[in-house]
Amino acid sequence: MSNEAELLPGTLDLLILKAVSLGPLHGYGILLRIGQISGRALLIEQGALYPALFRLVRQGLLKASWGKSDNNRRAKFYELTSRGRKRLREETDGWNRLVAAIASALAAQPKEV
Amino acid sequence: MTAYVRSLAARFVRRRQTERELEEELGSHIQLRADELERSGCTRAQAERHARIEFGSQERFKEECREALAGNFIDRMIQDVRFSFRSLRKSPAFFAVAVVTLVFGIGATVAAFAVVNAVLLRPFAFNDPARLLWIYAQRADGARTNFSLPDYCDYRDQQTSFEGLAAIGSYSANLSDWSEPERVQGVRVSTNIFSILGLRSLAGRSLVMTDDLNGAPGVAMISYGLWSRRYARNANVIGQSVQLNGEPRQIVGVLPQDFALPNLDTDVVVPLQPESDPRRSARNSVSFLRFVGRLKPNVTPEQAYAELDSIRQNLRRQFPDASAGKIDITIAPLTHEIVANVRVVLVTVFCAAIAVLLIGCTNLAGISLTRAAARQRELAMRTALGATRGQLIRLLLTESAIVALIGGALGVLMETWGQGILLRLVPSDLPRIQTFSIDWRVFAFASVVILIATFACGLAPAWLLSRADLREALLSGGRGSTSGTRRLRTWLVAGQIALALVLLANAGLLFRSFALLSSERPGFDAANVATVRLSLPETGYVDRAAVVNYYEALRSRLAAIPGIQTVGLVQLLPLAPKSQSTVPFTRPDQPLAKRDDTPWANYRVVSPGYFRAMGIPLLGGRDFVEEDDENRQPVAIISVFLANKYFPDRSPAGQRLTIDDTDTEPRSVEIVGVAGPVKQSSLEMPARADIYLPLRQVPKEAVPWLRYNTYWVLKTSTATTGIERSIRGEIRKVDPSVAVGNVRAMTEVLAAALAARRFSLLLVGSFAVAALFLAAAGLYAVISYGIQQRTREIGVRLALGATRGRILRMILREGVLLLAAGITGGLVLALMMAKLVANQMYGVSERDPFSFALVSLLLATISLLTCGIAARRALNVDPMEALRCE
Repeated sequence: MSNEAELLPGTLDLLILKAVSLGPLHGYGILLRIGQISGRALLIEQGALYPALFRLVRQGLLKASWGKSDNNRRAKFYELTSRGRKRLREETDGWNRLVAAIASALAAQPKEV
Repeated sequence: MTAYVRSLAARFVRRRQTERELEEELGSHIQLRADELERSGCTRAQAERHARIEFGSQERFKEECREALAGNFIDRMIQDVRFSFRSLRKSPAFFAVAVVTLVFGIGATVAAFAVVNAVLLRPFAFNDPARLLWIYAQRADGARTNFSLPDYCDYRDQQTSFEGLAAIGSYSANLSDWSEPERVQGVRVSTNIFSILGLRSLAGRSLVMTDDLNGAPGVAMISYGLWSRRYARNANVIGQSVQLNGEPRQIVGVLPQDFALPNLDTDVVVPLQPESDPRRSARNSVSFLRFVGRLKPNVTPEQAYAELDSIRQNLRRQFPDASAGKIDITIAPLTHEIVANVRVVLVTVFCAAIAVLLIGCTNLAGISLTRAAARQRELAMRTALGATRGQLIRLLLTESAIVALIGGALGVLMETWGQGILLRLVPSDLPRIQTFSIDWRVFAFASVVILIATFACGLAPAWLLSRADLREALLSGGRGSTSGTRRLRTWLVAGQIALALVLLANAGLLFRSFALLSSERPGFDAANVATVRLSLPETGYVDRAAVVNYYEALRSRLAAIPGIQTVGLVQLLPLAPKSQSTVPFTRPDQPLAKRDDTPWANYRVVSPGYFRAMGIPLLGGRDFVEEDDENRQPVAIISVFLANKYFPDRSPAGQRLTIDDTDTEPRSVEIVGVAGPVKQSSLEMPARADIYLPLRQVPKEAVPWLRYNTYWVLKTSTATTGIERSIRGEIRKVDPSVAVGNVRAMTEVLAAALAARRFSLLLVGSFAVAALFLAAAGLYAVISYGIQQRTREIGVRLALGATRGRILRMILREGVLLLAAGITGGLVLALMMAKLVANQMYGVSERDPFSFALVSLLLATISLLTCGIAARRALNVDPMEALRCE
């Protein structure tokens, strides 16, 4: 029984937005950051990150530019646009609402029905 | 939004750069991971290897990244198009056949639609045409007749249903200006017609109320056609004064280009001037006017009819003699009337073109099915690699879309360039055809047709094959077709045969009608007869005496031309279009119970040489002679129809008839001869009652008509050339101010009477032949294909001892079943649609079993031949080859 949970479809985008909201990152950095903030509980396929990033750039939620990483490697950095920030806020609210609703449904006791 | 466009640009415009960046980005990811691994103790090489394995297939993610860019759909479309082009290039035969079929199919259909559009669909230039009504009176025998001038004034003043009521009468004139005089055919109108129709002049001004008043200076408008033809569209001609029938008139304006009235030529338009017309108070005067009116906003046609009819009944009560014979009113929408004669013909031709297109498309669908069946393996592979059904359908449709677009574009182009030829083929008196143009409707129609062609050719194979069982396709090597394919193709061909039969049946019926009609005896002998139409100016020819003098002078000169045997004159030639002249008559000793039952006869003024020149036999009594003049008893010659119907009891010679051809009392004439039947107005109508009067005894009321309308009929000894020049020369020598029309051989007039039918037959016939050809081709393809598919089966049978004859019979049996289905379907369809072509038939029923049987036989024979030729291939199968090839 592993301690890592499978990512629900659609939540990868949300996590990327969150990760980037804490500061501009390159792809590998985003991967590390997600691992960091989720307490290493989420399982993400390395390569699957990049199509998601391209998609978010196409939708105008992320902005990409080339720069240098810590150890002087050339890498593409991503940061949030204002639309991205707005979307992050909306999605987070929506996610929280969903979680609360499902949690309360799952916590229902026989005598409450 | 900009992010989307930037993404699009990244995919298409900066493709190489994007690739490089992608490569670099993934590479740097791996390097960064390798750095981390190196920090935890591996060697560089180990770390990099580890990182790469961890990452997985770079290519796969790169592909997913590319797909995440914008413009995925466009990219796929471009790929499909490129692939389709390649595959079409590889089968040039299919490409060529498909494009050619569509070019002609679409081109012909669009051309037919363009004509239908120009004549029937295009909005008329009138303001709010739905409220315009065309009004006739009706006789007891159902024929239409006109109103007289006093009638018009009464209707106009008493009606309340219309915003305005205008009167139109035909007007034939001798136009003379600074060049050669010309006969023109136009209309005399009350000037309120322009506001009623809501038309404005193209140049200059329209006629106005003041032009209609007593004593107003003479004015006229000319048509666009006349303006182009005679005055080269020179704007200076407006304001010039010309002579029409000797009266000076100023040209004040040019009519709009598509001005048209039912059954009337409108070269010139002059004011009616009702108040100053001498017939204003003559109740009994000639009825020559039709009305057009614009309904008031809240009035329905039924209400208008009721009111007009009540006015008519009032007039009858007041003037029973003058109103006799007008027993009813006919109203019809103006726009309908203008195109009434040609609507059915045009629609028939259009439907024929569509049928041919359909057959062509079905052929293509069949061929495409075969091609697609051969690609089953490729399609199966694509599905295995992840293509969805939608993508497969899109791929197959792209190919047929390319073919349809190329074929359609070429077809439309061909149509636009070939416009000149098209207009030359079409009968020139088709209403509204002068302003033929290709407008947006034609393009919209062409687009729809191309779309339909795409789907017709592409959808069947696309849908069928995307359902195919993959494994079977991959295993069997892709040569097989599903039974679904074959069955679909078979049904398609049966449909084609049915359609071809319908077209052939229609063409056959039209052909029989045409043949019967052209073999109809017109009642005269058209061989070696030249006709020329003359129009005498008003100055110098005010009365009968002057006209008769002219006649004598010209007759002797023309008779002196070598080659001319007989010279005659008639005021209206048989089969002359758009004109009629009739007169009511009675037998004085058999008065009628009801005035409304007064019979009418065709009224013809002739010279003594007319019957001889035209070869019309005299079946009793005598011909007119020059001595039948004003000093002698008025005489007449009647047609045999009149003689048989109204003098059944005795010989008509010596009997009297009362005819009403003056503005005053009817007069009595003595019958001196009986002429054979002549088809006066059209070949399709049977010969009716005619009353001929001699030129020298024509009443003064008929002199104006006679002046503007005389046809000289010249019988020549052989078909002489160059006689036209002599004729014109003599006419000019007698009086150069006389306007001379075309010198036409009577055979030409006869042919022109059949022109519209001939045109329709030509078109529908060509389409039918094309359909037959295409259906046979389709049948051949299906049979051949079936044989090819069953090569192995045939080989086995042959090896097991079947004779070639049995194989042939087996294949033929299928073909015959197909044929039978097609012909039966076609017959049913043709019988159902027979009513639509009923009114184009002449002498043959629209359900004529003989014609149907004949075309069915023709179709069956050709189809069986085709089957036979296709099946012969089966005989050449070598059993060993067949069994071996897989």
